[in-house]
This record gives sequence, structure tokens and C-alpha cells, in this order.
Amino acid sequence: MQLTKVFALAAASAIFCGPIFSQATAPAASVTKTLSTRIVAYQIDAKLDPAKHTIAASETLTYKNLTGQPQQTFPFHLYLNAFQPQSTFMTEVRRSGTRGNGPGTDWDPKHFGSITIDKLEVAGAGDLTSKMQFVQPDDKNADDHTVVQITLPKPIAPGASVEFHIAFHDVLPKVVERTGYAHDFDMVGQWFPKVGVWWKNAWNCHQFHANTEFFADFGTFDVKITVPQNEIVGAGGDLVSSATNSDGSKTLTYHSEDVHDFSWTASPSFTLVEDSWTGSQGPVKISLLMSPGHESSTQRYITAAKGSLRLFDEWYGPYPYDRLTMVDPPHGGADAGGMEYPTLITLGTAVHMPKGMLEPEIVTEHEFGHQYWYGMVATNEFEEAWLDEGINSYTEVKVMDALYGKSTSVLNFPFAQMGESGLQQIGYLSDPDKDPISRFAWQFYNSNSYGGITYSKTASMLLTLEKVIGEDTLRQALHTYFMRYRFTHPTGEDFLKTIEEVSGKDLRWYFNQAVYGTQVLDYSIGDAHSDPLKWWDTPAHGAKKNDKDEIYRTYVTVVRKGDFQFPVDLDVKFDDGSTATEHWDGQDRWIRYHYDRKARIASAQIDAHNQITMDRDYFNNSFIEDTNPRAAHKLRNIWVFASEWLSQLLAWLT
Amino acid sequence: MAETNRGTFFSGAGLVWKWQRLVWWLFFVCLIFGFFSTHEMTERASSLLNNSVAAERLVKGFDVSAFITLQQLPDSPLEIQQHSIAHFSLVFAVFMLFATGGILAAYVLGEKPTTTAFFEAAGHHFWRFFRLLIYLVVVLLPIAGLAAASNAMYTHIQDQSISPYPGDHFAEAAVVIILLLLIIVRVWFDMAQVIAVADDEKKMHRALRRAFTLFRRNFFSLIWLYLRVSIIAWLLFALGLHIWMYHLHPQSVVAAFLLSQLMILTWIGTRLWQRASEAIWYRNYQANQVPSPAWSPTPEPMYMPVAAEPQP
Repeated sequence: MQLTKVFALAAASAIFCGPIFSQATAPAASVTKTLSTRIVAYQIDAKLDPAKHTIAASETLTYKNLTGQPQQTFPFHLYLNAFQPQSTFMTEVRRSGTRGNGPGTDWDPKHFGSITIDKLEVAGAGDLTSKMQFVQPDDKNADDHTVVQITLPKPIAPGASVEFHIAFHDVLPKVVERTGYAHDFDMVGQWFPKVGVWWKNAWNCHQFHANTEFFADFGTFDVKITVPQNEIVGAGGDLVSSATNSDGSKTLTYHSEDVHDFSWTASPSFTLVEDSWTGSQGPVKISLLMSPGHESSTQRYITAAKGSLRLFDEWYGPYPYDRLTMVDPPHGGADAGGMEYPTLITLGTAVHMPKGMLEPEIVTEHEFGHQYWYGMVATNEFEEAWLDEGINSYTEVKVMDALYGKSTSVLNFPFAQMGESGLQQIGYLSDPDKDPISRFAWQFYNSNSYGGITYSKTASMLLTLEKVIGEDTLRQALHTYFMRYRFTHPTGEDFLKTIEEVSGKDLRWYFNQAVYGTQVLDYSIGDAHSDPLKWWDTPAHGAKKNDKDEIYRTYVTVVRKGDFQFPVDLDVKFDDGSTATEHWDGQDRWIRYHYDRKARIASAQIDAHNQITMDRDYFNNSFIEDTNPRAAHKLRNIWVFASEWLSQLLAWLT
Repeated sequence: MAETNRGTFFSGAGLVWKWQRLVWWLFFVCLIFGFFSTHEMTERASSLLNNSVAAERLVKGFDVSAFITLQQLPDSPLEIQQHSIAHFSLVFAVFMLFATGGILAAYVLGEKPTTTAFFEAAGHHFWRFFRLLIYLVVVLLPIAGLAAASNAMYTHIQDQSISPYPGDHFAEAAVVIILLLLIIVRVWFDMAQVIAVADDEKKMHRALRRAFTLFRRNFFSLIWLYLRVSIIAWLLFALGLHIWMYHLHPQSVVAAFLLSQLMILTWIGTRLWQRASEAIWYRNYQANQVPSPAWSPTPEPMYMPVAAEPQP
């Protein structure tokens, strides 16, 4: 997008939505009734040193004990300590890889990050800094300092509150795992001591792992950010005030409520683009922070965001916040991209991103979707990552297909196409049977299995479920699930039971295999052919007979090659235009159908509408009597050309 | 020189056209190798796709996810391809090393490339060119080093600049320079091959030295000769690719095959165009050399003995 257009957009939004940095009105809901049960209230005062990429901060956390029992011990996440060579995170990255880094990844000192608590005081109990103790609930790795625990001198009674005063400082890593710096860009995520969640009658505060994300309680955030004047800041909160300090810096104050995290970003190189969208809950201000060189993706981000806002609002439930901040990381900062925080998402594009490659749109849609599946329906990303990433991947398919076309929502070139369901399918099939969906995120075989199962298998599982209960019913189930569990911490069973309740069907047989099992689904046409009924009385055997009078017996055998049992429909077509349809419960290893007609088989096909996206091999789902070699020839053309071209390149050396 | 160069440029094309059987021959060998390298894949793909409705996803358009799914199948028809293609490409390169002697003999000597003459020349020069190949690898090493250094520099620039453009521009410039260097090396070694054939030079280091001297003295004319053909080759290739990707109907399998083969054919043709042009250039160069007169001692002044004064 040209700069003039950026200014035009900013001017238009200033006219219609008020000044760019005006104090945003608080959500209407906060005036009447809070959206969430507010357990935490964070007040943080942070100062960024953009040259050193460090943050000095003080935090006051007021924790309301709604656990129903006295609490004396409180665990805190110190996520930034994961970026150290001895950490559990790095140990797992080295062993099994993580997003963007394969197994065997070497330690790069530039990726060092840390969070250090300089002082911890508890109101009424004094300085408890010396009482802090690093704990490792998951793997007993004593060198992992991502969880610290503090035990108070006396317990906090149920219903009472406790106030923690924490002075801490951060060293940001060069961007890794969603956070850090690149050039003059700072993405500040998971940056403050964050208390664990009392869940299922225990503290839930896992260490930071290679494949895990986050889990926290809802509440309010009042955050002051002090940065040099030239820094352009975006944050997951409403800008309350902006003040210039005597040293030439500025302090921006943000407020956010009914969220469970707060992140922010700063860079003097950002270009701010503002827009707005009005949904069922009123206007939403869209702030897009663009990095240099990515201007051509600006409108693509905005269009995708508005389309996603509209469809989520229509299909799943209202977007209750008045803002959405979108951050486009600069080149070299891609590891900070594709991440979600409450009301702030990070995106991803490239300088010369072709229009037919819909990566900017997909990232925008996906991260926005997390405002629902993670942001509001705040599931435990450590233990049930599929509930945010998986459901979100499913809704990504639905939204992207609706906005950009079913077969062109990923790639849309004249010479190559790909749709979202195909993308999820190949993600799942890359490693389909090592882990069940329901596994804890850090216990997957490796990062590939984690990604393929958590994201893509869940999406494929839900797409396949549409065949059983219908697309509209599943959409209604997701709507019910969202409305019922928003601003809470539901479990996987809550989700599955909601689907069963809305569909009115017992789906345990399916969930046991698809969610809790590792079975692979693969049905195929084992055999399909026609034979004269009186085969001994044919011209081949000396009989003289009109071919039109011949009665053929047609056999079609459907085979269950995988161990996943699923009902399938079989469509058989004959060469006289007649058809037959069968429904098989898919329980046995195979089933054979036969038909006696004055016609021979033309084709047999299971899953004719491509609804069973969990099917490992859909090429064997059908049989056509008339051989069509075009696909094989097309592939051969490509490979012959590639072979010849490589030959010519090598021959150039001679 | 420019006039001469233009003549060489077109004469080279004419020579390739005149003895186009060489182009066709190389093309068919390349095509046969291409078919061999993909034969097993085609067989396996045929058994999977020929009677499958899902194959339509690859015919009506090209569904990349279907293509990747094929690769992910336990009995994927595509998994064997990379090795097979690499092996056959290597064999073709060896074949080209062999054939180059015959091709150059035809171009340098200007005689009709009969089968016997072709293979005799090919066999005659094979080991010489093999030795040249070793020299070439040695010469390419510094260029590989330069490429690695450029890559490191690119990373450094990308790390330093918030804008992606400086790094990208540097990379583009580095690619142009490295390609130019590769062309320079190729011209030099091609000239050494021409000298080896034209003068039946047995010592390849001597051929290289002579080629280097010749190239240095006629640097711009020879580079321009090659560069023009290279630009034409790349433009034709890009045009073919563009038509294939953007204009051909996805179901036009036969048309796609013909187009792809036309691209390979023109690629081979333009490469031989370079070889023919250089051969003609060398022939002309030799012809234009005014033979230096044989050394002869400056006749010493003849001092005729003064005739004795006749005695009175």
C-alpha cells in the first residue's frame, strides 16, 4: 500500500473514529457486569531500553482467592527464562525441535532471554525475595527456572485477596518463540511474572516447553510503558493516557479487562494504519502496525481481519472488545509473527508476497480466531492444546473457505491451487498415528507430530464430524460452546459433551478413536468389476447372443484398510446411467455388494463428497472403469522436465 | 571487431541450424534419459491414479495438497524420484562430456558431422575434456567461496537493516556478479576446448593458458558473444514457463509436454549456439592472423672487395 493511502486511511479513521490516541471508551459491559470472573489485577510499570532490549519493571498483582480454600503457596511463570541453554525448553528443542527449528538446533547466544525478580514483597508479609524457590513440576530439571514458587507466612483465606509487589527486569532474546527483538523492533510477550491458575483443585503452572503455550486467569491489566519518544507502540489494551517525561521519553498507559494476558510491541519503524469495523457489539478499532517493506500486504491484512471479525460474529458469537491490534513483524523477526495475545495478534508476510499465496490472510484469520479459542474460551494450552489450536484450525478452514473459495483459500494461481481443508489434511497425514489429539502438549513424539495432530488432525476430525452431524449442527455446537464457556477454562470433555448435546447424538465411538486414539482411517474400493451372469454362456464360450440382452453381475468390494471404524457411503454408477447407493457401517474389514443388471459398472466411489478428510488415502476411494491416464501423464511431464532441466544444468559444467 | 562479432553471432546460429541433427540428437538422448528416470514413478502413479476419481484434482487445475498427499502415501509413487533423476542427470552430464569432442570437431572443422567422424572425435577428446573438468572444478572453488561470502554478507546486511530492501538488492547484485563470473569461466574453458580440438592440443594446461591469453585480449567481444545468447536462452525459457503456468489449459497434457520439450530443445540449441559461435570466432581469429614472416637475418651489407686498382 502506498504511503498516501496509509495517511488517507488514518485520516478517515481519525474523522470517523476520533483521534488516533484518544482515550478509548471502556467496554459497555464493564459498566454493568464484568464479562469474566476477575481473579487477577495487574498493575505494571515498565521501561524499555530499546538499545539493550531490556525492560525494567515493577508489578503489583492483586490476586483474589476464589479457590474455595486457603492458599499459602503461589507459583509464578517466568517464561523468558526458557531462553537459556540448560532450560527444559531448549533441551526439548535440541531433542525434538519446535516451531521453525528442527531437532539438533544449536544454541545461539543471541537468543538468550531472562526474567529476574529483584524483589518480591507481599502486602502484610514484607520482603519474601529470599523465600522464592524455582520449581520444576513437569520434569524435575533443576536448571529450568521458568516457574518460581513463593510460600507466604500465612495462608490467604477463601474470598480474600493478596497483593504481590514485584520488581523485575527482562532481557529480551533475539526473536524466538513469539517474543524478543529484531533490529529496532521489540515484541514483548510473556514478559512479566504471571501467577498460575488454580484448576481442577490444584495449581496449574507448568514449565515452559518446546511445544507449549500458555494458561492464565482472567482479570484486569493497567500497564504503563515508558519508551523513547520516537517509538511507536502497540499493545493489548486501550490507551488511557500518554505523557511526555522530563528525560524526553514518553509514558503510555494502557488498560485492559476481562483478558488473561498483556503484551505489547514497540518500534520507531512502524507505520500505523487504522481502520474500524462494526459488529453486533459495536465498533472495533483496528490498529495495524506495519513494518518497512511490507506495505503491499497492508490491505490484505485489513480485509482478512474484517472478514474474520464478521464471520466469527455471525457464526460463533460476538466479539466483545472495542479494539484489535495487529502487528506485522519486520523481516528477520518472523519468529515473533503468527502469535496471539488478548486483543493483540502478530502477523506474517514477505516483501514480495504473491497475491496468489494467501499466507498474510491465513495468519491474520488464524490469530484473530484465537481471540475466541484461547482469548475468551481460555482453555489450558499446556494440557489440551487442541482446544485452541485445533478448533481454531477448523474455524480457519471454514472462514478462509468462505472468504477466499474452497479450493483456493491457500494457493490461488492459474497453475496451482490449494484449499484450507487440503492444507489441514496434509498437515495431519505428515505424521498421523504417533500421538492422540488429547495428549499434553509437551509429551508429543516431536514438534512435527505436535503440529500435525494438534492443529491439523483436530481440524480434519471436526471436518469429518460434519459428515456425521452436519455442518450446520457443528457450527451451532461451536456457537453454544463459545457462548457457554467464554471467559472460563473449559476442558476437552466440555467441548465434546457440548457437541453431543447440540447434535443429540452419542458420539463416543467417534471421539474415542479420533480424539483419544491413534487409529488411522482408510477405506478403499478393493475390487469393482462386472461379469456376465451366465459367464459360461457367452460368445467366448461359443454362445451366440445379443450383447444388449446380457445380464451382468457387478461386484463392488469396499475394504477397511485402517483400524479406524467409520460409516461410509458407496455410490455405484453403471454404463446405462443407472446408479446404486449403499451405506456401510464400516465395522467389518470389508464388505462386498453385487448387482445383477443389463449394464456394466462405470464407477464406484466411497465418500463422493470428500467429507471424510481424515481418510489417509483418498486416491483409493474410487474406481472408474474407463482408464484416464491424464493425471499420471501430467505428473510425468513435470518430472521429465525437471529431470531434463537438471541434466542441462549439470551438462553446463562439461 | 564489432562487425566481426555480429557476424560470428549469426554465423553461430546458422551453423547450429545447418547441423541441427546435433541438437536433435542431444535432445532425444536427454528426453530418453528423462523418461527412464521417471519411468517407475509413472508406472506407480498410473496404478494409483488412472482409475481414481481423486486424480481429477491433479488434472482440473493442480491441487498442491493432492500432490503432497501422493508423496505422503506409504507407497508413494514420488518418493523414488529424486535419486533416480539425480542419477540420470549425472549420466547425461558424462554423456555430454563425451559428446563435446564430436560437436566441437564438427563446428571447428566445419565439416559434416558423420557418425564415424563424430564418435572418433568424441572418443579422441574425452579424457582431455575430463582433465579440463578437473581444472574447472578447481577454478569454481573460489567462486563458490565468493557465493558463501556473499551469503554471509547478505545475512549481515539483513541483520543490520530494518528494511529488507538493502539485503535484497545486495543479493540481486551478488547473483548477477556470480552469474557473470560463471559465464566468464565458461567462455574461458569453452575456448580451451575449442583450442584442444582445433589444434589437437594434448596438454590441457597449455590449452587453458592459450585460451586465457586469447580471452584476455578479446574479453569484451567474447563475453558479449556469450552473454547475448545466454540472455536469449533465459528469455525463451522464462517465456515458456510463463505460457505453461499461466496460459496453458490445466488439462492440456499433450500441449504442456510439447511446450516443455520445446523449452529443453531451445535450451540445448542456445548452448550449442554459444559453442558454434566461439568455434567460428576462433576459426576467424586464426584466419585473420597474418603469419609472421620467418626470421631471416638482415642481409649484411655486402662489401664487395674493392677491386684492386688495376695495376698500371
